[in-house]
Amino acid sequence: MQPLVSVSHLVKEYGSGANRFRALNDVSLDIHAGQVLVLMGPSGSGKTTLISVLGGILSATSGSVRIDGREIVGMSESQRPALRRDLFGFIFQGFNLFPALTAEENVAIMCKLKHVPQPARAAANLLESVGLADKRNAYPADLSGGQKQRVSIARALAGHPRILLADEPTAALDSVSGRKVLEILSGLARQNNRAVVIVTHDPRVLDYCDRIVTIEDGRVGSDELRRHIRPTPGDIA
Amino acid sequence: MGILAWKNLFYDRVRLIVTLTGIVFALVLIAIQFGMFLGFLDTAANIVENNSADLWISAPGIPHVNGGSPIQEAKRWKALQVPGVTHTANFSIFFVNWKLPNGAFETCQIAGFDLDSGMGGPWNLVAGRVEDLRGEDTVIIDDLYKRKLGVHNIGETLEINGKRARIVGFTHGIRSFTTAPYVFTSFKNAQNYIPMREEETIFILLRTAAGADRNAIKTGLLATIPGIEVFTRDEILSRTRNYWVFGTGAGTTTLMGAMLGLLVGIVVVAQTIYAATIDHLKEFGTLKAMGATNGQIYQVIILQSTLAAVMGYVLGISVALAIVHSTADTDLLIKLPWPVALGIFGLTLFMCMSASLLSIRKATTIDPAMVFRG
Ligand SMILES: Nc1ncnc2c1ncn2[C@@H]1O[C@H](COP(=O)(O)OP(=O)(O)O)[C@@H](O)[C@H]1O
Ligand SMILES: [Mg+2]
Repeated sequence: MQPLVSVSHLVKEYGSGANRFRALNDVSLDIHAGQVLVLMGPSGSGKTTLISVLGGILSATSGSVRIDGREIVGMSESQRPALRRDLFGFIFQGFNLFPALTAEENVAIMCKLKHVPQPARAAANLLESVGLADKRNAYPADLSGGQKQRVSIARALAGHPRILLADEPTAALDSVSGRKVLEILSGLARQNNRAVVIVTHDPRVLDYCDRIVTIEDGRVGSDELRRHIRPTPGDIA
Repeated sequence: MGILAWKNLFYDRVRLIVTLTGIVFALVLIAIQFGMFLGFLDTAANIVENNSADLWISAPGIPHVNGGSPIQEAKRWKALQVPGVTHTANFSIFFVNWKLPNGAFETCQIAGFDLDSGMGGPWNLVAGRVEDLRGEDTVIIDDLYKRKLGVHNIGETLEINGKRARIVGFTHGIRSFTTAPYVFTSFKNAQNYIPMREEETIFILLRTAAGADRNAIKTGLLATIPGIEVFTRDEILSRTRNYWVFGTGAGTTTLMGAMLGLLVGIVVVAQTIYAATIDHLKEFGTLKAMGATNGQIYQVIILQSTLAAVMGYVLGISVALAIVHSTADTDLLIKLPWPVALGIFGLTLFMCMSASLLSIRKATTIDPAMVFRG
C-alpha cells in the first residue's frame, strides 16, 4: 500500500552562513493512513521542525516529502496555503483559539475557510463529536484547558483533513483531560482513514498509538510499532 | 472572516474607544475647519454675491469691496453713454462708528444703495420692508448682530457717526467677514453717515443689456471715463474673496486645520489598528498556518478598519452637525452641505485604509511557524 506521507532524506537548515543550523538531518519516514504515530525526543531535537515541514508550513532545504504522491518540497509559497487548507488539520500546545469568538464560531470560521457547506451546522456537529455540544456558545476564556483543546481538535477536523498534526497537545493539560484528548485523537485515525501525528513527551500516549518514532539531534533514532488498547467509539465522547 | 473582524474589534473595548475617539476627533476637526472655510468663502463676498449689478465702477486699485474710496458721482452719466449700459446706480460701502445705548462705540459698515434700482439692497428680510428705507434716517440691520449693536426692536433710535439712525427692519444671516456688521440704508441717507462730499459715491453699479458683451462694455467704459477701475461681478467677487479668505490667512489657517485633522486621524487610527494587528498576530498566524491566504488576512484587517471608519463617521459627523447647528445663530458661519459630508465619509475611509496599510505590511511577514511556540 502506498504511504499517505513519504519522507526521504529530508534536511532542514535554519539561518545561513555562520549561523546555519541543521535541525533535520537526513530524515526518512513513511506514514500510513489509519495510523497514530507518536514523535518523541528531547527538547530541541527537531520534532516541531519535522511536523512544520510535513504540514507545508516550513519549506525544506533538501530531500523529498510526498503527500498522497504529491511532492511538496520546492513548492512555491503561493501554493502552500491551499495545500495546508486541503490536507491538514493542526493542533497546538497553546490551543491558538480566537478569544473573541465562541467555540462554535472558532470551528465555523475554519469550516468557512475550507469551503465546508453550512459551516455553522458543520461546526455544531464537530463540537458534538468531541463531546462539547453544550459549550457551543461558550468563549475560550470560559472553558477549561481540556475543553479548549477539544475545541481546537474540532476546528482541526473542519473539512475532514486526511492528516492531523498535533504538537504537544497535552503539555498544558492535567492528566484526566490529557487522556481524553489523546483518546479522541487516536480514535480519529480510524475514522476516514486518517493519519494522526502527535508530538509529545506524555507517556500516557503509549496506550493509544500504533507507532513511536524518536528523534534525536535531527535524525530518526528508533522506530517501533506497538500493540495498544484501542478505545471503542463509545469512549470517545 | 467577517465575524473575526467584527468581534475582534469589539473584543478590544478600550482600543475600539481610542480608535473611535481618534476618528471622531479628526472628523470634527476636518468638518468644522473646512465648514468654517466654506463659511468664509460665503461671508467674505456675500455683499457682492447678492448684488444684481453686472459691472462695478470704483476708484482705481481698490483692494476689495470693503475698501473703496470716493469717486465723482457724475461719472454715472458718462457711463450711461457707453453702448450696452442700460441702468446705473450709486452704491456706498464705508466703515462708520455706531454708538451703543451705553455710550460705547462699535464699528459697522454702511451699505447705502439706490432704492429705485434695488442694486446692493438687503436680502433675507425677516422684519420690516425695504421700502421703509425711503424714510429719513432709517436703517436695516441683521438680527444676528442685535446684541452687538445694542438693538432689540424696530423703531429704536441710535447714532451713526453722530447722526440719528432709526431701525426699520431686520435681515437674518447677512454676516460680515470683518467684525463690522453691515447697516443697510438708502444711498441718500448714507451720505449723511459717511464723511464724503455730496457729489461723491464709492461705487457706480451698472446693468447691461441682455446678451451684451460685458468685457467689451468694460473696455468702452475705461476708454471713456478716466480715473476709474471697472470690474465684472466675478472679478470684484474673487478680488474680495481672495483678499479676505486668503490675504488675511483665515482661509489658509482653516484649511491647514482641516489637514491637521486628517493627519491626526491617520496617525491615531494607524497606531491603534497597527497595535491591534500586533496583538492578534498569533491569530493571524494560526489562520495562515491553517490555510488562509495573505489576501484573506488583509480582508480581516481592511474590514476592521472599514468598520471602525463607518462607526467613527456616524459618531463624528453627528458631533460636527451638532456643532454646526449650535452655531447657526451666531456671527460665525460653519457650512456642512451634504456633498461635503459625503466627501468626509470618503476621507474617513481613506484615512482608515491608509492607516491599515502599515498593518498589512506586518501581516505579510507573519511566520506561520510561530503558531507552534508556546
Ligand atoms: N526559526 C529558527 N531559527 C533557528 N533555529 C531554530 C528555529 N526554530 C528551531 N530552531 C532550532 O532547531 C532545533 C529544533 O527545534 P524544534 O524543532 O523546535 O525542536 P523540538 O520541537 O524537538 O523541541 C532547536 O535547536 C532549535 O533551537
Ligand atoms: Mg517543539
